[in-house]
Amino acid sequence: MSGDASHETMRITLKVWRQSNAEADGRIETYHVSDVSPHMSFLEMLDVVNERLLGQGKDPIAFDHDCREGICGACSLMIDGRAHGPEAETTACQLHMRHYNDGDTIHVEPWRANAFPVVRDLVVDRSAFDRIIAAGGFVSTPAGSACDANSLPIAKENAELAMDAAACIGCGACVAACPNAAAMLFTSAKVAHLSLLPQGQPERDARVIAMVDAMDDEGFGNCTNHFECMAACPKGISVENIARMNREYLRASLVSRSVE
Amino acid sequence: MLRWIGNALNSSVGKKIVMGLTGLLLVGFLVEHLHGNLKLYEGDGTGFNEYVEFLQGFGPLLVLAELGLVALFLCHIFLALRLTLENRQARKHRYAVRNNRGKESFGSVSMFATGALILGYLIKHLIDYRFADGFFDDPKGAVANTLSQPGNAVIYMIAAVVLGVHLSHGFRSAFQSIGASHPKLDAILDKAGIAVAVFFAVGFGSFPVYYLFFWSPSS
Ligand code: FES
Repeated sequence: MSGDASHETMRITLKVWRQSNAEADGRIETYHVSDVSPHMSFLEMLDVVNERLLGQGKDPIAFDHDCREGICGACSLMIDGRAHGPEAETTACQLHMRHYNDGDTIHVEPWRANAFPVVRDLVVDRSAFDRIIAAGGFVSTPAGSACDANSLPIAKENAELAMDAAACIGCGACVAACPNAAAMLFTSAKVAHLSLLPQGQPERDARVIAMVDAMDDEGFGNCTNHFECMAACPKGISVENIARMNREYLRASLVSRSVE
Repeated sequence: MLRWIGNALNSSVGKKIVMGLTGLLLVGFLVEHLHGNLKLYEGDGTGFNEYVEFLQGFGPLLVLAELGLVALFLCHIFLALRLTLENRQARKHRYAVRNNRGKESFGSVSMFATGALILGYLIKHLIDYRFADGFFDDPKGAVANTLSQPGNAVIYMIAAVVLGVHLSHGFRSAFQSIGASHPKLDAILDKAGIAVAVFFAVGFGSFPVYYLFFWSPSS
């Protein structure tokens, strides 16, 4: 690691997936970037490349980003074959170039899944996730004004588990890292989050069935328990949520009164 | 009226629950199968002949159990085909570079291949014994006859190892699939998965080793 060389710059070779639109055939292009500061985030490094490309009258590399502080889930880069890059529980926007060495070659690809079609370069369409949420990832009980403290008891442990599941930022790294392109970690985080809280109870059974159906309709793969999703998740969401969703689904299938 | 069953079984979660359940039930079959086989070591195999006779004594009930076993296998195999094909389909465009860092293992990525090998072996195994002429006259003799031939013994040894590789992922994975996950349980399962795999590989692998190297027709 050349992390200590704070004022030095690095030369990095980037191999980036370029694809001009959803229908076009893409290819990997090589860019040599000198003057990379170890303080830059990965996205800032791409910004520098893009400025140079714009200066040359070329198309900049399209990539998704918004908050750049690891909370929105917009950034979505497969870096050297790992979702969000080499650092554990770190989004691509929070990955810093100090983790690389002078002379490194870095491969950057978009998330790959049929359910996440490439829009352009490194940008993929993740609206499949929105449709899964729309199928049941909410509570429709009117919340009214805030109730008195302690009027709605929640076991501490459940509150913690729900909070852990709610940490999901919906970035799609789980799908990207899954050998089967399955979306179970994402969907299960949402199901678990709401099924653990009293506010989620009225729609508990309908929710899990509707969300799993929506997930299946989007063409994601089936989970076969490689647990790659958990390792790739920038928020450390546990596969325990998937087991919980499996239980919830089984339970809902058996007890819900709908025969459809 | 029963649409809900079809829907549930066709869903991604339903499929994995059935996959896990049938897998665990097949492990249950392996337990009894190994228990029966171990009687080959009892009194020069007379224990095994008695065991086979005991099973034969169930008559039509045994046939029913066999049919149940066939149904389990078919269900497991059908789902394996379906899951594998669907999962291939789910990512048509593959990564140029991919690095795993989760629990992906040789066992977990080779489930379909090891399963197919086990199926191939199973067919040979049934032809060797279940459907062989005269097997039921002297089961222990038939086993000795087959496994003392080097070619057969090697196939049976390899099959035992392949079964172990399949179980190294399958056993642990089945519990997760049926929703049995809990910090207390998971800690045990992580170790038990490998232990179960080694147990069955060594258990079933011991018979070809015994008949090839340690058994002589006179003994
Ligand atoms: S840009 Fe918001 S999480 Fe990376």
